[in-house]
Amino acid sequence: MSDVVAQQATEQEPEIDLSIADAVIDKYIDIPGNLMPVLQGVQDEYGYVPRIVADHIAERLNVYPSQIYGVLTFYAQFHLKPRGRFIIRVCVGTACHVQGATRIVETFFDKLHIGHAETTADLRYTFEKVACLGACGMAPLAMVNDSTYGGMTVQKVDEIVADYNQRPLK
Amino acid sequence: MVNLTIDDKQVTAPKTATIYEAAKLNGIKIPILCHDKKLKPFGACRMCLVEVEQMKGRQIPACTTPATEGMIIRTATPDIVKARKMVLELLLLNHPLDCPVCDKSGDCDLQNLTYEYKVNSNRFTDAKFNHQIDYNNPLIERDMNRCVLCGKCARICDEIVGFGALTFIDRGIETKIGCEFDDALNCEFCGSCISVCPVGSLLARPFKHKARFWAMTKHKSVCSYCGTGCNLTLGVKDNKVLTTIYDEDQGFHKGQLCVRGRFGYQFINSDKRLTKPLVRKNGALTESTWDEALELVAARLKGGSSVAALATPRLTNEELALFKKLLVENVGTKNFDHAAGYAHAALTEGFVRSFGTSASSASILDVQKSDLLLVIKTDTYETHPVVGFEINMAVKNKDVKISILSDKRGKLSKLPGANTLVHLPGNEVVILNAIAKTIIDEKLVDASVAGVTGYADLEKMLSAYSADAVASQCGLTAADIKKMASDYATAEKALIIFPVGQAYPGHNADLASAAANLAILTGKYGKEGCGVLCLSEKNNSQGAVDMGFYAQDGGFNAAQILDACSTGAVKTLFIAGENPLVSYPDRKKVKAALDAVEFMVVSELFLTETAAMADVVLPVCSFAEKEGTFTSTDRRVQYIKPAIRAIGQTRTDFKVFADLISKLGGTAPVTAAAQFEEIAATTAGYKALSHVSLRKDGAYAPATASPALVAVQAVPVPAAETGKLSLVVGSVLYHSGTLSQNGEGPMHVCPEGYIELSRPDASASKIAENDIITVSTTNGSMQLKAKVTSRMPAGVVFAPYHFSDAPINTVWNGAAVTSVTLAK
Repeated sequence: MSDVVAQQATEQEPEIDLSIADAVIDKYIDIPGNLMPVLQGVQDEYGYVPRIVADHIAERLNVYPSQIYGVLTFYAQFHLKPRGRFIIRVCVGTACHVQGATRIVETFFDKLHIGHAETTADLRYTFEKVACLGACGMAPLAMVNDSTYGGMTVQKVDEIVADYNQRPLK
Repeated sequence: MVNLTIDDKQVTAPKTATIYEAAKLNGIKIPILCHDKKLKPFGACRMCLVEVEQMKGRQIPACTTPATEGMIIRTATPDIVKARKMVLELLLLNHPLDCPVCDKSGDCDLQNLTYEYKVNSNRFTDAKFNHQIDYNNPLIERDMNRCVLCGKCARICDEIVGFGALTFIDRGIETKIGCEFDDALNCEFCGSCISVCPVGSLLARPFKHKARFWAMTKHKSVCSYCGTGCNLTLGVKDNKVLTTIYDEDQGFHKGQLCVRGRFGYQFINSDKRLTKPLVRKNGALTESTWDEALELVAARLKGGSSVAALATPRLTNEELALFKKLLVENVGTKNFDHAAGYAHAALTEGFVRSFGTSASSASILDVQKSDLLLVIKTDTYETHPVVGFEINMAVKNKDVKISILSDKRGKLSKLPGANTLVHLPGNEVVILNAIAKTIIDEKLVDASVAGVTGYADLEKMLSAYSADAVASQCGLTAADIKKMASDYATAEKALIIFPVGQAYPGHNADLASAAANLAILTGKYGKEGCGVLCLSEKNNSQGAVDMGFYAQDGGFNAAQILDACSTGAVKTLFIAGENPLVSYPDRKKVKAALDAVEFMVVSELFLTETAAMADVVLPVCSFAEKEGTFTSTDRRVQYIKPAIRAIGQTRTDFKVFADLISKLGGTAPVTAAAQFEEIAATTAGYKALSHVSLRKDGAYAPATASPALVAVQAVPVPAAETGKLSLVVGSVLYHSGTLSQNGEGPMHVCPEGYIELSRPDASASKIAENDIITVSTTNGSMQLKAKVTSRMPAGVVFAPYHFSDAPINTVWNGAAVTSVTLAK
């Protein structure tokens, strides 16, 4: 690689401990087709796949960094930015849509000052619109991490946000 | 072979052929966007759909379907044409129709197919993409709005170049070709992606808006940088070489080029080219006429053995042969040499004593036919990138194993399964001897060695080189050496590859013989995929050796010529295209010699540092302006003819030498073709060749090997003492000799000299990337920019030798390993 291109300023990432990634890589290093489990493993550890970790994996597995990025962007399961402590998912599938999911989404936007697939600056919340959570009988439906909230209303959005604002970040 | 019917025509094709290849072989054209004959079938574009009767008339892709016995194929039924039209409509849905300003226009597969299939309307509508165009590097423009996602760029970067800069990123309609984390492209800039792009997504920036494709004349030529001998097509307009054009049918490399070949052509039409003869008057070089300059030179050449000459192996065979004739017959001197006098020793001494011929016992084509490659120095990729591509393809596609013996890591050591032994610099011969010793001890010697002379002497000498005894002195373990030995000896076919050149003084006659010993001991030569391949540095280095343009029969070699200049024994020095002041070791000594010599004439393209010291400077032509032949490193003799008229008043070296011969009262052949006839008559292996027969593809000049084992002693070179580092010089990927400094592409990517050091050494000396470092040796000191990389082992630093502004010969005296100190 040449130094002809000024490296684009990468966003300041918090100190990343690569030994955590190394532990994951060590586990899979001798297995053919190990890229997916390694990426899933590091995401479990860091909550997302930091760039420095992706580059480190490329180096250790002798895979092109570009290919890793190709895989990371192909699968919706991988995240390239830090995610919030609480992942709020609001269903906008057909059933939820007719039950007014749009209002629920907009209320979350207003309350959290973030949009779809965005994370609050304090890393407390990440918000996502999703297609279907598989519980149409409970429409409109929201989830926060693994907790399910059926029959959502605008008032309930307030309650959920107030509740999770109280919870510890760590 | 299989028999099949394509469009009612009975045809045959090899068993391995796809329908597409079978059709192409038989002159039936199937349209396609995502296919290149160098790449694996991919099946992305759906343009090559055909109907196969046995498959119930379904439309199937010709490029991924194997041709089988009895297939009845139709390539252009109304249904197929309709389907292809729709594919084009869908592609044109997102592809911007900015053809009037697109440099690809006229050479664009999509444009040509749209025209051919008369797609003059579109039933669909959609928004165009709005991707940002990548203008971040000076050579490759990436406009992903025009992309048709054929994937050829990503595939060539992976399968052949082995860099993997590009890949498919994102998903569905968002899919595009991009780099990691969607960054700007930052790679080797070989431009292979540009060459295969079927549309205007990837373009050569130096050629942007220079000429329409159809306005250029295309001239086939041979690259004038390294010894690989790649074929080029030059795009010419108004007597200017504006670009290199890709042709997948050209050369053994199928049109594949490196950064130098593709982007380094600008020296041909550079503004800095010398256009008039210069003569020193009152201490200053002033413009003169050819008559005056040649009179002066001819008068000085009447000095017999007080005349000496140095020529660059970038001249044609005809020119070198004629120059030699001038010197020997008309001047009466044997003092001439090329490549600093030592860069050809592997061939002229090493191979001569080991194989009885001054040529490699393998060709580049053997790389992909071998089972194991033993590469000495990872620099092989940098010095000969297209050979590097062959190695990549061999290892990645053909499961060829690769063992590397090197003083640093490099791109080749990243190849899958590469076994890289990083040893203390300068110990190549010791390790090769230890490998030979292991081969003998483990009884892996081939029966054919019985008839070879020198076995007893070699065996005796090798007793001091057991792997256990020398391994630790070379920074390796005995087990590493033994494994490399048994890998090499037990492979069915194995090929040893090493580069030579002015920056690799350690790659000398002894290294060549030590490597040859391995091949001879194991019987791995003279067969397909076997042998020892010495990669010579310049485009005609092998030719210069074949023409005998080096010190022989008591003539002075380059070093002796320079010494003789200093002592006054040589009074007239004729330098044809060499730049000793920058590229020869020990600048102080070279400068003193050139200062001391009474009269110096330099024939050059540019006013180099050396030319600026001359008494007469003769402006000569580049390879694009002359006719002649070049001999590549594996003795492929290739013909070039002028692509443009001579620039200004420049003349070919051939004409200069011929005129001088006449002025000295001799007779010279009038044409290069006539000179080549003389060469063919007198040069081993060239007998059957002539300009006419070489015109199309060139031909190999065969070399017959008569092997002999040669005992070469070597003393282990220890690591640098405490506080010092071992400096190894070399070539960098983007440059070749000093000529590439005048090519814009190489200078965009690698504009200056530097010193590369390991992370541990950098942190120990608190040196950061781009710090200006003072490098000192017993020879002198100089300042260089620091480059901190992970490929260098601790204690070893690397510096390239090409740069006039940072001549490494200030601190380097020609040793394979130099002890240096670094200070901030």
